[in-house]
Amino acid sequence: MPSPGENPESKSVWVQIARYSQLAFIFPAATVAGWLIGEGLDRWLHTTWLYLVGLILGIVAGFVELIRMVSGSDSE
Amino acid sequence: MPEQLWFTEFLNHLFAGPVTGLLRALHIEPSYPQAPITNAVSMQVLVFLFLVVLFALVRSRLSVDKPGALQHVFEGVHGFIVRQSEEIIGHHSEGFTPFLVALAFFILICNLIGLIPGFESPTAVPMVPLGCAVTAFIYYQTQGFKHHGIAYLKHFMGPMWWLAPIMLPIEIISHVARMLSLTVRLFANMFAGDMVTLVFFSLVPVGVPILFLGLHIGVSFLQTYIFILLTTVYLAGAVAEEH
Repeated sequence: MPSPGENPESKSVWVQIARYSQLAFIFPAATVAGWLIGEGLDRWLHTTWLYLVGLILGIVAGFVELIRMVSGSDSE
Repeated sequence: MPEQLWFTEFLNHLFAGPVTGLLRALHIEPSYPQAPITNAVSMQVLVFLFLVVLFALVRSRLSVDKPGALQHVFEGVHGFIVRQSEEIIGHHSEGFTPFLVALAFFILICNLIGLIPGFESPTAVPMVPLGCAVTAFIYYQTQGFKHHGIAYLKHFMGPMWWLAPIMLPIEIISHVARMLSLTVRLFANMFAGDMVTLVFFSLVPVGVPILFLGLHIGVSFLQTYIFILLTTVYLAGAVAEEH
């Protein structure tokens, strides 16, 4: 594992790098996750519109996670 | 029949019958009943056995007066994860260290094993990072429930009660997205690392691939670090007090 050094500030830099690298992934991941859940529910309940609801909720969830990450409060 | 590594062939030679029987009992028909164990599974078994032997070796050689090189390495990794957990989760983070250290070693060895000729990285197959991400997901949710009890469900309900019907699906999706992003990041990096090395090996077979093998080692360490760090961040979110 890359050693962040002994000083706590440099350690925080590594934490920040990893957290911000997450930004690139979380938005598309949330969108795809929402779509997949909606698609799964569509197949299960024999409906044709839940994928759209899942997709929209996924996009919203992506934004929510993005804002949380950027504001530094993470999930809570 | 798919191409098999020597260790996969060895495992299939020994266990193909019982494994196919077990899969059929679970109503899963393997694509190749004579070789139901894939390279990714056999490599994981190998990494598991290696880690068990390694941990047993370290345990048997623990010494307060004369710590050996191996003990130094393990104490270094353990200390690093303890400090990082304390920084992110705060006090009472010691209980999570065994899980995080075990997961870190598993992912790291899975990433690095592909550098040895005759082996391949199981993490370059999407199912393996997904398995790690699902394990991390189950672990941090369990710790959340253990810490808060049933009140942990409030984490999914948003700040105001009337927001709950909207927040619940959004929270569920964002938790699933965490698993997905952990999986895709690890898989894509390891797969791309293998591909880049292969492409450059086919273009310039001497010298240049070594650079990319070096890069692959760096990426292996970095991806392990990011996976563990994000798991720690999610754990911190699950066991956080204020809401």
